[in-house]
Amino acid sequence: MDFLAMLKKAGFSDTQMVAETGFNSSPKTKGTLFRAFKAARAVEKNGKAGGDFLSKFQEFFDETYAQGALDRKTKHLIALGASLAAGCEA
Amino acid sequence: MQNDMTRDDLDKIEAGIRQKYFEVANTPDGKFQYPTGRKGLEILNYDKTLIDKLPNAVVSSYCGVGNPFSLGKINAGAKVLDVGCGAGVDTILAGMMVGPNGSAVGVDMVPEMIARAESNLKITGIVNVSFQNTAAENLSFPDDTFDVVISNGVINLIPDKEAVLAEIHRVLKPGGHLMVADQIAVSNVQKDIKARLANWFQ
Repeated sequence: MDFLAMLKKAGFSDTQMVAETGFNSSPKTKGTLFRAFKAARAVEKNGKAGGDFLSKFQEFFDETYAQGALDRKTKHLIALGASLAAGCEA
Repeated sequence: MQNDMTRDDLDKIEAGIRQKYFEVANTPDGKFQYPTGRKGLEILNYDKTLIDKLPNAVVSSYCGVGNPFSLGKINAGAKVLDVGCGAGVDTILAGMMVGPNGSAVGVDMVPEMIARAESNLKITGIVNVSFQNTAAENLSFPDDTFDVVISNGVINLIPDKEAVLAEIHRVLKPGGHLMVADQIAVSNVQKDIKARLANWFQ
């Protein structure tokens, strides 16, 4: 399991490998910068069911917007465009 | 993740890490494959105005593998935890960033590193920073304590990474930010203890 997968398993969201640092401890490892967030989920404390549902939704959301062939920003902009075209003004 | 490791393997890894950092606590010079001390901080683009405020003895003890502060801003008044703080250079810098209304705590399992961190802190005269000799897998803080957790070149050394990450997640406030610089394996790490002691991440 790589580090990003471990972060997700521990419950982090918006996990991201940002850059290499150039400070490598051995020829087999490389210095790398990572960031992640603990999701802000105030509703979770209201009950387990709500928490489970929200964490599933958060997983879906994270997976949808994960860096892939398209980067995160592009995906968000496409989603914004689609929402506006659909008449969603919320 | 560690099911191919025996208790004996884990003990050897921990003993090896304790021995290495017992020596690093004195000086990191010549003990790493990358620049340490002031040179390391400069190459990694740490904030020069903050570094210039630190005594040489503090700066020279730096042996991080990256600049976690490059990953996001730390606000004034924030509470910061440094996991595996070593000689405490990042912790002290975090204390300077958060200012008098914030605080920074460093934890490290190696008592000699904590002693060095405390002597470093003493000569800076900074008062909003503290250190604890604690293992990262078993933190003493309540849930939802910190705004930011930083870690620099440490998690790769800890066999039970899941336990460490679960603890970090627990002590972060909702919306809190984890900023990590660490070593990751480029290819499969050799399955022998010696290689793992030098560095292992899997």
